[in-house]
Amino acid sequence: MLKKGDFFIILIVIIMIAVSFVGVSIYKGWEDDGHKMALIIQDNKEIKRIDLDAVDESWEFTVRGDYSNTILVERGRIRFKEADCPDKVCVDTGWLYKTGDMAVCLPNRIMIKIEGKPEDVDIVTY
Amino acid sequence: MVSGDDFVTKKFFVFALSIIIVFLFTSCTYSDVAPFESRDYIMGTVVIQRIHHNEAERISGEVNERIAEIEAKMTINKPGGEINLLNDASGEGYVVLGDDTLYVLDKARYFSDVSNGAFDVAVGPLVKAWGIWSENPRVPRESEIDELLKLVNYKDVLIEKDNDRAMLKKSGQVVDVGGIAKGYAADEAIRIYKENGVESAFVSLGGNVAALGGKPDDSPWKIGIRNPKGPQGSYIGIVSIKDGSVVSSGEYERFFEEDGVRYHHILDPKTGYPAKSDLVGVTIVSDLSIDADALSTAVFVLGFEEGMRLMERIDGAEAVFITKDDEVYITDGLKSVFEFKDESKEFEYVEKR
Repeated sequence: MLKKGDFFIILIVIIMIAVSFVGVSIYKGWEDDGHKMALIIQDNKEIKRIDLDAVDESWEFTVRGDYSNTILVERGRIRFKEADCPDKVCVDTGWLYKTGDMAVCLPNRIMIKIEGKPEDVDIVTY
Repeated sequence: MVSGDDFVTKKFFVFALSIIIVFLFTSCTYSDVAPFESRDYIMGTVVIQRIHHNEAERISGEVNERIAEIEAKMTINKPGGEINLLNDASGEGYVVLGDDTLYVLDKARYFSDVSNGAFDVAVGPLVKAWGIWSENPRVPRESEIDELLKLVNYKDVLIEKDNDRAMLKKSGQVVDVGGIAKGYAADEAIRIYKENGVESAFVSLGGNVAALGGKPDDSPWKIGIRNPKGPQGSYIGIVSIKDGSVVSSGEYERFFEEDGVRYHHILDPKTGYPAKSDLVGVTIVSDLSIDADALSTAVFVLGFEEGMRLMERIDGAEAVFITKDDEVYITDGLKSVFEFKDESKEFEYVEKR
């Protein structure tokens, strides 16, 4: 036989479980399908983090090392615009706009990587 | 009838239980400790390591040192090192070599044989003439290439394992183990992980991936296969593996232009020019990364049909082929672990040919 009190307890349990699920999904979702972030990494250190979805006007900046790279930022996308390194592989890579997109300037040890929702792969072979 | 006391106890019990349940539901999601991930620049490329271990940072440092050590021994782009000693003594006599160099040289010689020279460890004179890895690559004159082709022959690499020594028969011959040294370094990284008790890790040396175990939850690592036409990081399919190596070769990796013609970096040892392959990229899956490294170059040079035949002859290695016609093929052994996933919608997966 269920008493009034039992119903009360069951209700509380259901609410707590529901709240916990909602809490977890909010917590995870907050990072996951949030904004696309571009990470600029130099010598294994993150030197800049740009929210690409919050860019109003395009702008650019220069990162110096052994060489210098100019990085152009627009709403939703980012690229190496100019570089004085010998191979210019980074500039040839073009625009990065999807999660997981990556451009590397080996001579200057700079990497741009786009983070966002969880990636389907752990790493890409090339 | 239940007495008042019993009711209170029961109520308390259920309440406590409910709280435990709530915590059970929420906490399991966060049990994973964030993995350690490092990015370094060694061997002229990006080395990425992801290690699940409480001493991950120290272990990654040990691996980086080992990779730098291997590079110093194997390079032909910087002075010093054992391969340079061997090349400098070409046509003169035997050179005593350390275990690392002998092992790599022997493997390179073996795969040169197996691939009938599509991968040729003695391709060095051509690599130097083209300046493939230099800041100023160039197209050599035809007469120069014809002359150098006479020096390119892996059969002239003589190895005496018992005496720890090797020599190159003709003066001017140059071995280049650049094509497989990264694979060896990846294998050594895995060995170091194991020595340190790591059970879950992977390393990528410029896209040469080697994995130890699976992810901490025991699911396999997901290795994307680069979309040859898309930006770095984009892929056309996924290979799921535990333990083992995934290595790719493709013309997108490195190239230069001269007089409006695009030249890529994978030379055909038979013609002396960049391989006129009908493949844009090939990926090899095998236990040892050094094997995968050599095979990926060989298969790329051979092209689709001959490359497929080579892979059919070799046990324990599988391949994914991407052709110039945007078609994707795999060897039978990959069926259960390969997933075609092309967001660009430019490629077609041909399951049976």
